Parts: sequence; structure tokens; C-alpha cells
Amino acid sequence: MSKIEEIASAVERGKAKLVPGLVEEALDEGADPVEILNKGMIDAMSVVGEKFKNNEIFVPEMLVAARAMKKGVEVLKPNLGGSSDVSIGKAVIGTVQGDLHDIGKNLVCLMIESAGFEVQDLGVDVPAEKFVEAAADPAVKIVGVSALLTTTMPAMKATVEALNAAPNRADFKVMVGGAPITQAFADEIGADAYTPDAATAASVAKAFVVG
Amino acid sequence: MLTPRQNLLETIRGGHPDRFVNQYEFMGLVMGTPYSVRNPYPTKGGPNVVNAWGVTLSFPDNVPGGFPVHTPDKIVIKDIEEWQKYLKVPNVVYDAEEWEPFIAMAEKVDRTQQFVTNFIAPGVFEQCHYLLEIQNCLMSFYTNPDEMHELIDCITEWELAYAAEICKYIKPDAIFHHDDWGSQQSTFISPDMFREFYKPAYEKIYGYYKAHGVELIIHHSDSYAATLVPDMIDMGIDIWQGVMTSNNIPELIREYGGKISFMGGIDSASVDHPGWTEEEVRREVRRACDECGKLYFIPNASQGLPMSTFPGVYEALTKEIDAYSKEVF
Repeated sequence: MSKIEEIASAVERGKAKLVPGLVEEALDEGADPVEILNKGMIDAMSVVGEKFKNNEIFVPEMLVAARAMKKGVEVLKPNLGGSSDVSIGKAVIGTVQGDLHDIGKNLVCLMIESAGFEVQDLGVDVPAEKFVEAAADPAVKIVGVSALLTTTMPAMKATVEALNAAPNRADFKVMVGGAPITQAFADEIGADAYTPDAATAASVAKAFVVG
Repeated sequence: MLTPRQNLLETIRGGHPDRFVNQYEFMGLVMGTPYSVRNPYPTKGGPNVVNAWGVTLSFPDNVPGGFPVHTPDKIVIKDIEEWQKYLKVPNVVYDAEEWEPFIAMAEKVDRTQQFVTNFIAPGVFEQCHYLLEIQNCLMSFYTNPDEMHELIDCITEWELAYAAEICKYIKPDAIFHHDDWGSQQSTFISPDMFREFYKPAYEKIYGYYKAHGVELIIHHSDSYAATLVPDMIDMGIDIWQGVMTSNNIPELIREYGGKISFMGGIDSASVDHPGWTEEEVRREVRRACDECGKLYFIPNASQGLPMSTFPGVYEALTKEIDAYSKEVF
């Protein structure tokens, strides 16, 4: 097993104590830092996401894998020559106004970050204006909007409408998700994509940006 | 015509019900205890409150229930390794006279018609993530399994002490106990992890109630939890309320009917939304009843109380279940 494969395996298994050492060893052996990031971590998290989607692993396993990746990235970062070289774009994500649910939104943040995005987490109970304000940043490629209740679906509609009216709307994609949300609702309110889970959200976001 | 109580028993025992059990009709709910009056809960649209466990709860106007607030300053157990330092467990033992209004509430229920049912929420899993914040809680199963076991034992002991008081004063026929174990697509934790951490706790709690005169355990989890059904049976659950369509309920009934019954089959989100219609309610009730059949199944919206978020939905469901019973029984 190559060192990068070892890193990937440790990330998948959530071994936060092992990953930094393995990353250091890989760097000492002359491995390309970008390859360590892409093959050792981002690909590993994509495997984690797939397993999560298929109910082979659960939220705790996903959280510990992300934590392990984060520990590895801390070691890797000084060797990457600036995050702009590796980030594939910025994503802003939040739960709509009136809705305090955060676990689904947090998992999406985590998977999108693990797919190579820079993520700005707007938190919960986020007014439409705050989404629009954050989306005004030219670096933003993805705006993720979450709602977990039928009572907050109107807030999602209002948020997507406000985003659709933004002057820079062509610069970003609007993605929606959450328990009561469906593809039909996403189409009705004018979102670019609906995804049913965090792993799919990450792959769709990536496809929007890198094709 | 069977009473709601008799009809429920015929349904869950594979007998001869004379109609569908209509949602919560068999439960005579007792919603309070001396403990619960000291455990503040926010009013809809009102200010945030701090409950008896120190958890800050918020209940915005447009949501179905209270929700814990977990900004860093509001998290009760800030470090799982020192959970004892942060957690103050509330008292459950109160004088007999304090129980009188609740005993009177139970006495109003005709036990030949309904089951006197004590309502208990949150459950052991929910209490853990209310106290720790959900991600901290879920990570702690890996990072601090010993402390998680200790915390769960502590909450379980509290539940057992509460159960002793409830059984002593109310003598309930049934317990309606909430604990959401998953999202609509999956359980929050793996079945193995659930078996290690939570199953023993519930075997003790539900075992205590069963050993002290409680005939029915109704457990609410409006989620996917099909993979936990064998464990629910072991834990003594008679009815899983809140079962969502993502669980493939007809298959669960075929496999486990007779050992456990399923109450739900109508996802609240599919009928209880801003643009709800009676036609939609009619379609969903008939779909659920046709798919799941007359035994081991109680048609009901997945929400965990006899109410709906949007006015009229609960009543429309009740009316439609009655109407469909008249057609098919």
C-alpha cells in the first residue's frame, strides 16, 4: 500500500491521530502535496460520502473522517502554496430564516469542504438578505439553502427568489435540500439543483464548478 | 362496536378489529407530572427558556416544537470528559399532594375506552444531544465511549427514578415515549452502535414499566429506523409511532407483525404543509391503509402528538380514516 493509500485509508476510518504523521511521512518521501490532498483526502472523503449515502456508515463515522482529514490538511497547508491553488471555489451554505436545524446543513458543509471548496457557513435562521449579501462575493460559486420543516419551505422559496433576483446570479448555482424538499419543489422555486443527501450535494456542487 | 381500547388490542394482536385504529384515539394522554411543571418549555413564539437540565430551548412561531439552542455559551456539557462537572440532574421525587392534579387527569380517562398514557420526552438519545450538541455527541461515541456510557447510565437512572414515581401515582396503562433515532433516510448511528449504547438503557426503562403494570409501550421516532426493529422488539416496544414511508412498512409488517405494530405510514410533510388539501389527505390515507392492511398497523401522520402544524390537517386525517374504515371493514 502506498503512503497516499495509507492516508486515504486512515481518513476513511477517521484516524485523526494517525493522519498527520502519515502526511508528514508522505511529504518526507517527496510526495506531491496536491496529490496527497486530492488522492489521499478528497477522494477518501468521496468514498466516505458514498458509503454514507448507501447507509454503510453513519453520521459519527462521517464526522470522524472529516476530523481526520482536517488534521491532515493542517499539516499539508504550509506545503500547498496558498489555498487559492487548491480550492475549487467558494460555497456559502445556511439554514433558512425561522429554522434552527443544523445537522443536515453541517454535513453538507463538511462534504462540500471535503470536496475541495472553501465553505462559508452562514449558520441557522438565516434571513434571505444575508444569503444575498454573502453571494455577492465574486468567489462564490455555490449557494446552499437548507430547510427542514414544511413551515420553513416558504422561507426557502423567498430566499431562492431573492437570490434569483441578485445582479450576479449568473455567477453562482443555487442548491437546496432538507427533509421536506423535493425535486418538484426545487423546480417550482427556481433552484438549480435539489440533492437528497450530503454526499450527492458535494458531487453535484463539484460537477457545477469543474464540469 | 369495539371500544378504542379493544379495537387497538385486536389490531396489534392479530385479532378482529372492526375498523382502523384512528390515530391517537386509544390514548388518554396525561401530559404532566410534578417534574414536568418544573421543567419549563417555551411557548410557541415566546421567549427562549432554560429547562430543568439547563438546556436552552427556542420555539419560533413557525415550527412544530421547541428546539435546543447550541451556541457555544448555551451548550450544557462543554467537555464530555468532565460531564459530571456540568450536569445537574433534576429531582423527580415530589410529595403525594403535588401529584393530585395529575392523578385527577388520569382518573378522567375511562380505562375501558382508552389507555391512560403518560407522555415522556425527550428520550435518552435526545437528552444526550440536547446536553452535548448533536455533533459533539455523535463524535463522542468514538472519542469518549466510556464517558458516553457513563452519561447514558446517568440519564437511564434518572428515567428509572421518574418511571417509579409515574407508576406509583398514575399507574398508567401505556407509556408514550419520544426519542428520535434517525433522519428520514437513515438512523443517526449504526445499529451496532445503537445496540452498544442505547439498547441496554431502553431494556431497563421499558422493562421497568412492563414489570410495574404498564401494558403498552409506544415509542415515537419519526424517522427511518427499520434496521432497529428487532431491537425495538427486544426492548419491549409494542407500537412504533412515527414510522415513515421510507421504512417500507408493508415489508416490516410481513416480517414482524405480531411482535410489534406500526403507527404512522403517512409522512407529515406529505400532508401537513402550507398548501395542504383534503384530496391529498384522502389519497395518503387510502394509500397507507391499502399498502399496510388492517392488522399491526395504525394509520397516522408521523408527527408525535395528536395535532398538526397547519390547522385542520389532523382533523381531516381523522375524518378520512373513519370514512375509509366504513368502506373497507
